[in-house]
Amino acid sequence: MITLEQKNFEEIEKMTKGYNRLLVLGCETCAAMSFAGGQRQVAELASAIRVARKTSGEQGEVLEEAIARQCEPEFVDLIKDDVAGCDAVLSLACGAGVQLLAERFPDKVILPGCNTLFLGVTEELGVWSERCAGCGNCILDKTAGLCPIARCAKQLLNGPCGGSMNGKCEISKDVDCVWQLIIDRLDRLNRLEMLEEIFPVKDWSPAGHGGPRKMIREDLKL
Amino acid sequence: MKSGSNLERLLESGQFAVTAEAGPPKGSSPKVVQRKGELLKLCCDALNVTDNQTAIVRMSSLSGCVLLKEMGMEPVLQMVVRDRNRLALQSDILGAAALGIRNVLCLSGDHQKFGNHPTAKGVYDIDSIQFIQMVKTMRDEHKFLNGEEISGDVPFFIGAAANPFADPFEFRVTRLAKKANAGADFIQTQGIFDMPKFIEWMKMVRDRGLDEKTHILAGLIPIKSVGMARYMRNNVSGLSVPKEIVDRMADAKEPKEEGVKICLETIEQLKEVDGIHGIHIMAVAWEDIVSRIVEEAGLMPRPVV
Amino acid sequence: MYDNNPVNAMEHPPCRVACPILTDVREYVQLIAERTFKEAYASIRKLNPLPRVCGRICTHPCETACKRGQVDEPIAIAALKRFASDGPWKGRYEADVPDKSTGHKVAVVGSGPAGLAAAHDLAILGHRITIFEALPVLGGMLRMGVPAYRLPKDVVDEEIQAILDLGVEVKTGVRIGEEINFTDLSEQGYKAVFVAIGAHKDQKLGIAGENEFEGVVSAVSFLRAVNQGQNPKTGKKVAVIGGGNTAVDSARCLLRMGAETVHIVYRRSGDEMPAAKEEIEEAVHEGVQIAYLTSPLEILGQNGKVSALKLMKNELGEPDASGRRSPKPVPGSEFTLDVDMVIAAIGQAPDSSFVADKLELTERKKRIIVKGPYTLVTTQPGVFAGGDAVTGPATVVEAISAGKRAAISIDLYLRGEPLPTIEPAEEVKREKLSPALVEKTRNFARCGKISLPAEDRLKGFDEVDAVLSEDLATKEALRCLHCFLGARIDKEKCISCLTCVRVCPLGIPTTNKMGEITIDPFACQACGMCVLECPVWAIDISLNFRSKIALEIEQVISRSQQAEPMIVGFFDLHGNFRSTDVKSLRQDYPNILPVMVFGLRRIDTCDILKAFESGADGVVLAGCPPDTDPFPETADRVKRRIAHARTLLDALGIDGARLEVCDMPEKGIVDKELIDGLIQRIKEPVQASSE
Repeated sequence: MITLEQKNFEEIEKMTKGYNRLLVLGCETCAAMSFAGGQRQVAELASAIRVARKTSGEQGEVLEEAIARQCEPEFVDLIKDDVAGCDAVLSLACGAGVQLLAERFPDKVILPGCNTLFLGVTEELGVWSERCAGCGNCILDKTAGLCPIARCAKQLLNGPCGGSMNGKCEISKDVDCVWQLIIDRLDRLNRLEMLEEIFPVKDWSPAGHGGPRKMIREDLKL
Repeated sequence: MKSGSNLERLLESGQFAVTAEAGPPKGSSPKVVQRKGELLKLCCDALNVTDNQTAIVRMSSLSGCVLLKEMGMEPVLQMVVRDRNRLALQSDILGAAALGIRNVLCLSGDHQKFGNHPTAKGVYDIDSIQFIQMVKTMRDEHKFLNGEEISGDVPFFIGAAANPFADPFEFRVTRLAKKANAGADFIQTQGIFDMPKFIEWMKMVRDRGLDEKTHILAGLIPIKSVGMARYMRNNVSGLSVPKEIVDRMADAKEPKEEGVKICLETIEQLKEVDGIHGIHIMAVAWEDIVSRIVEEAGLMPRPVV
Repeated sequence: MYDNNPVNAMEHPPCRVACPILTDVREYVQLIAERTFKEAYASIRKLNPLPRVCGRICTHPCETACKRGQVDEPIAIAALKRFASDGPWKGRYEADVPDKSTGHKVAVVGSGPAGLAAAHDLAILGHRITIFEALPVLGGMLRMGVPAYRLPKDVVDEEIQAILDLGVEVKTGVRIGEEINFTDLSEQGYKAVFVAIGAHKDQKLGIAGENEFEGVVSAVSFLRAVNQGQNPKTGKKVAVIGGGNTAVDSARCLLRMGAETVHIVYRRSGDEMPAAKEEIEEAVHEGVQIAYLTSPLEILGQNGKVSALKLMKNELGEPDASGRRSPKPVPGSEFTLDVDMVIAAIGQAPDSSFVADKLELTERKKRIIVKGPYTLVTTQPGVFAGGDAVTGPATVVEAISAGKRAAISIDLYLRGEPLPTIEPAEEVKREKLSPALVEKTRNFARCGKISLPAEDRLKGFDEVDAVLSEDLATKEALRCLHCFLGARIDKEKCISCLTCVRVCPLGIPTTNKMGEITIDPFACQACGMCVLECPVWAIDISLNFRSKIALEIEQVISRSQQAEPMIVGFFDLHGNFRSTDVKSLRQDYPNILPVMVFGLRRIDTCDILKAFESGADGVVLAGCPPDTDPFPETADRVKRRIAHARTLLDALGIDGARLEVCDMPEKGIVDKELIDGLIQRIKEPVQASSE
């Protein structure tokens, strides 16, 4: 899933200031699973903004709404009346959702309530970590199913660097050295010889360095 | 001869080499580099110029190399992949060749998080091993990474780093092999304090015949104070500083003297290790001690080949 | 109104399913836990016209079925019923009797629990009821059978009076078949008759000597005499034959009447003995001896009086038709017991001879045959029958159930509507709780009984057990595991985020491969953790559901009058406090607006913000002391949630110190110093700069 976090309240408060009728819009897929944009977080944030406005004497109404995914035009279009009736939308979706709102509602102020972080897994409730960098050219078959692009601080393809100590990355004792993990796993699979080969330089163009990415499936297109 | 550098000639002739490190200043004055050059001129065969070491912005390595070269010294151009993509790396290699630089040390670089611009975007387009391979191809095949022809020669003696003290230990030799296979002509290791571990590593290196594929220069870091010893023991990832070293520094009446003593003892032990072709002294902010160490280690005068 | 349809055991708690009158046990237990005792009483009384009787002598099948019984011991439901029904708050029960009578007259024959229940329900339906009772006093077995130490006579009097106050007419000393017959009733305008004459005729032992000697007495007549204060002649060494409650009651009465030794002689083992377990225990405690696996062979006598009882030992053979293992005599095991009195208590049959010509009876025990166990119609149109007269000796709650069923049938009959055909509910085998769940469920000891010491009991017929104290009752009610009141998932809203699966302290939600979440509504204990954490609000709960808490916040604020500073207080019902503590809190701190909840874990950041949004100046959350928290493992999470709320409050310009969280004191609802501190902080906030 896409992991995101709500921006801190001060930033949101500043951003939303002056928009009399503010719609807080949740996104009930990744954002909800990240506890950043589900109905509950919408209610909490809307309530917080109302209390803050009351305290500072600012006028205005804070509305609440949520849709299944803000990255789908059909869902977005379902709330066009709600959007029409407000001065700004505070989107609790990832950057994709925010931008689709902006596209569908060209005359409306759309504000991001969240920071989009990464593609990750839930380690446990309340703990997520990055697993995929969306590089467009998966190499997990060669790295024991562990991605050095997403998980090595230096994206080394021929790691580990000299900073790997006790299985941890030099940048933090809380970060695993993915190359240590790769080596351990290949050792367990009896495939350590795979690492003798020098991994060639990577083609970064599918990773977005070739320009904004687009995927078209001719067989599916309308 | 691949590059014709002094370092290459010395090592190829089987002599014991001595290199040292000189960090460029956090400023534009050439004098700092020149002063370090003067200090180290007579006691080493080539002088490494670091590349934004520990991710702290300094004068560029290439400029430092040129300043040293103008003084008649032989520089080793350190380059990290952290700050440059494949285009910038290749263009700087060509530029360095044009300016007469003949040694290059290909590194990953310390992560930007540790430096003075921790919010910077790291590049890491290619890694250090791919970098070695790229320079080798430029030199031997006159080809860019994309396969296009390079006009003119790219004569570099290619170096790489090795850290026998990082984890996983067993894989460190494999990684050295990869660097040697990629084209590393010489290796400068991390500073050695943990001699038993180094000896064990060297045995594995010899078992794979790597000491014959590449010239290994053992790294040395003279310790100036107990604080420095402690800091290295506790805070520097990839360094192994045994407790005895810290204790010796702590108990010493004259810590600097003790530091020199430790360094000299280490060199004596290294001379007994098969496959070591030289030493590399990294006297960070203590460059004036290098000549004394080289002298007292009996490695003066430096040979001319 | 009472619904005589069997309830679906997959949707209702086992206590309710097990109750013959489908008492909403869970509801009143919860109301007791909420310290709303008057409401608890009303909940009981609306279905049960004899709550104080049932609180004492009900055999409480609800307790046997109780889920907590799988964990440690069942909730002491009967004791809670008595607590709720005996308390001073019960007042006068205000039944909803229609102003206008239907004009239909109904005769209820017999004034035992079945007759009383029918009379009660029919009176509430607006019919005119006359109870015909053969004896001079009302109550049937409640008065004549159950001894006063178990059921004081004034309790029976009061409960009956409340029923009579509904306008029920009474004719005592009138035996149907002798003084009056069915035809007379019909001529007098009675449109329907409910025959609930009970089973007052003891069965004979059928052994030699039974009819020869003085000192052989039937249990029913013995108990009747005792209960009427007639002080019947009692032997010194007595054997009571039989294993039912009548036998045990007789034995315990005998001890109180001066008998020196009392033996209960029962032919099977303790496991098969039909009397209530606690009655047997009390009897043994008082000194009754029980000879299990023993059958009487012959009563021996001297000078026309009983002198001994010849007995024989049994062993258990194959199970019989009732499923109990039948006793088989052990050859050569005969022995004699010196006794001067023998009481026969081997079962009672109805005295039904007077209706034999009108109604169909069973052959051997002469019980009245009804055509449907729910409708209670007999072979005679307009005549209905129920209670012990139909079933043979049974429990008080079964009799009440029969009375209530009869009331429904009679009402339909009188209105000319067809009687429904009701199929008995299929017995549902409820899954046993998994060992893991049992392991994770925190144990809380069942409340003990407060009883008279054995030596004091035997001095007379004072009631043995005392009513629970308020402290004990609330504590006991809080043991309830809230079957079917827990989390329910809205599958349309669920996004399969698995939060519920992860957050549940008991591991109850499960997922399949497609992310479809299942929450076992029986196993769930309604802690509410998943309800709050669910990011899309796909889960709600019946116990303190989300909108109820939100609504209560609104209500307390809108109702508040003098609130300076206005503080919303969330109080955990699991604390050690009394209803009077809540009252004095309201008096001492009229500015604190209490919202009572089952655990602070039910309070969301949204609720806290809601309170501030609605105008509160502060919020206090008082959690129960850790030793009373059924889910102590959630305490840390709750603390972190509140810390998050506090950070948010700070960020939005309200001093986070206006949110106070604390544990309740060992006793009482709140620590005054702490509250005063909060009020102080709100009144005089710490200034950012001190110029």
